[in-house]
Amino acid sequence: MAVVELVGLTKAYNGHVAVSEVNLKIASGEFFSLLGPSGCGKSTTLRMVAGFVAPDDGRIFIDGDDIVDRPPEKRDVGIVFQNYAIFPHMNVADNIAFGLRMRKVDKTEIKLRVGEALQQVGLAGYERRFQKELSGGEQQRVALARVLVTRPRILLLDEPLSALDKNLREEMKYWIKDLQKSLGITTIYVTHDQGEALTMSDRIGVMNKSRVVRVGTPTEIYERPGDLFVTTFIGESNLLDGTVRLSTADSIRLALGDGSEVSAPPRKGLIAGQRVKLVIRPENILLDGAPIDGLAGLPAVVEAKIYQGALIRYRLSAAGQSIVAEVQNQIGHTQYDPGSRITAHWHPERTEVLPVE
Amino acid sequence: MAVAGTASQLTARSRRGVFGFGWNRLWLLVVPMTLFFIVFFVLPVLSMFALSLDKPAAGTVAAKGDFALTNFIRFFSQPLYYESIFRTVAISIASSVIAAVLGYPLAYLIAKTEHPGRNTFLMILVLASMQLDGVIRLYGLMVLLGDNGLINGSLIRWHVIGSPLPLMYNVFGVIVGDVQITLPFMVLSLIGVIRSIHPSLEEAARSLGASPGQTFRRVILPLSMPGILAGMLLVFALASSSYVVAALMGGWKVWVLPVHIFQQVSNGGHWQFGAAIATILFVVNISAIFVYQAVAARTSGGRI
Repeated sequence: MAVVELVGLTKAYNGHVAVSEVNLKIASGEFFSLLGPSGCGKSTTLRMVAGFVAPDDGRIFIDGDDIVDRPPEKRDVGIVFQNYAIFPHMNVADNIAFGLRMRKVDKTEIKLRVGEALQQVGLAGYERRFQKELSGGEQQRVALARVLVTRPRILLLDEPLSALDKNLREEMKYWIKDLQKSLGITTIYVTHDQGEALTMSDRIGVMNKSRVVRVGTPTEIYERPGDLFVTTFIGESNLLDGTVRLSTADSIRLALGDGSEVSAPPRKGLIAGQRVKLVIRPENILLDGAPIDGLAGLPAVVEAKIYQGALIRYRLSAAGQSIVAEVQNQIGHTQYDPGSRITAHWHPERTEVLPVE
Repeated sequence: MAVAGTASQLTARSRRGVFGFGWNRLWLLVVPMTLFFIVFFVLPVLSMFALSLDKPAAGTVAAKGDFALTNFIRFFSQPLYYESIFRTVAISIASSVIAAVLGYPLAYLIAKTEHPGRNTFLMILVLASMQLDGVIRLYGLMVLLGDNGLINGSLIRWHVIGSPLPLMYNVFGVIVGDVQITLPFMVLSLIGVIRSIHPSLEEAARSLGASPGQTFRRVILPLSMPGILAGMLLVFALASSSYVVAALMGGWKVWVLPVHIFQQVSNGGHWQFGAAIATILFVVNISAIFVYQAVAARTSGGRI
């Protein structure tokens, strides 16, 4: 079990910066996701840890050893690729034995460990099969077994679920997480899928335009994004235009469009008169016919109601702006038709004020 | 429903092919080629077989059907003739091995060159060498390798050697010629195969602890085998049947099967005996295909 530390990791290709000043500390046994849109630098970061890409600057430490100058074969880092990279000219047993043979492990022990590894990934009896005879999910299990059998210090997963169909993806998500937990192996997982990152990770590093913009637990990332990009990239958010009236250590007073004022949690560095966005998740908006005490509220008009089964989605107009609200379709819930005059409420602590750049 | 309808229409259309034929009429497309092939390949080859079984009659070109094994008995009873089978096979195998060893690095370089401009430049280099006629290329080689050629001339002038090295009019010269003529074919057949090896396989091997050398031996080379074998078969076929290389580079001193054929037919008008040697050459080349199939099946692991 190992601690991974990336210090000032930077890489540019022909003057185009792919990864810039990435600093991360990943705890022993942690499942850490790098999440971001394509081209944000997450894969390049992973490939630098694996040793396929040499950083222009920065250090990579595993348990305090600086591995940045070591070739991939001397890093003891296991990686599972998006296409699994099963050697097509070897059967499953030879694929899994590959890393052990390279380490000159004794033949009888190889046999034993290959058998154990297959057992571990639920593919006992698959020894003689070839890549062509394996489904996507089976190939992924072989790829994992091939890596885990060498007992690497850390495990790198590069979008391992993106090539699977939706149902299998759901299943493998929990399976990989359980396996990782039972082995306690430090894992870096690269994905563009927020659902995977939120479900599987202990912590997430969100990347955008070559930088890590936010690091936190799934709850922190979702509920306190703290960054406009993170807010819009993960989940859905209403971003209401506002101006700071008063900013104190306890709360902020905001003026929204038509002059209505609301309170929001405090945030350092804001001054009166500054233009900001008030961030509210659609599921945090409560609809009622009349104002409720203790909640922030705005008079609103229902513009559209979209029935989605489990959820009902409303498009509202409030404070001269458009707001989306999502309400659980539970028994006893009052539905509002377009044109209804209602109040949109929210708990101020479930909102955030973010400065406009 | 509408979607399903469109989908089935699409399949029906694609099954009919671009020319709108159904599968049952698609074979019409290959009729011209088949006719050409029958008239200009199958018939001549069959008549050659027939001619090889005729009694020798100097100057007679047409098969008469007076069956006799005379030509084959003559071939296999005289070392001058039957030894040329081994010579032909040995020279062709040597050429295909050398072409593979020389061609692989270049093919690997081209396959791994992603920069479009550089890639095109390297491809043009390979293709350009094929655009020049073989005879012209061989005359170039003769200028280089002859007794008074560039190499021998320079070495003698610098007093490195006293008399010229035997660089041509021998087996060495023929192999150099064969490799030179066939190298582009080898490179082309390798590029596609090497390019189809996904880079992540190389990375996976490295990450699992293999050095660059081990990665090449255990992963890249075995996965390149289909291309190497196909290239070697191609080189073997071209080298074993090349009269021009053997004549120009061997100077009528390296007796391979095509030189015998030419001599019998052109110098003596012995069409029947020439046809018999040609039949033997044909059998040798067909056998090479079987060897290729056997080796390909063995090296492919369980992939076939």
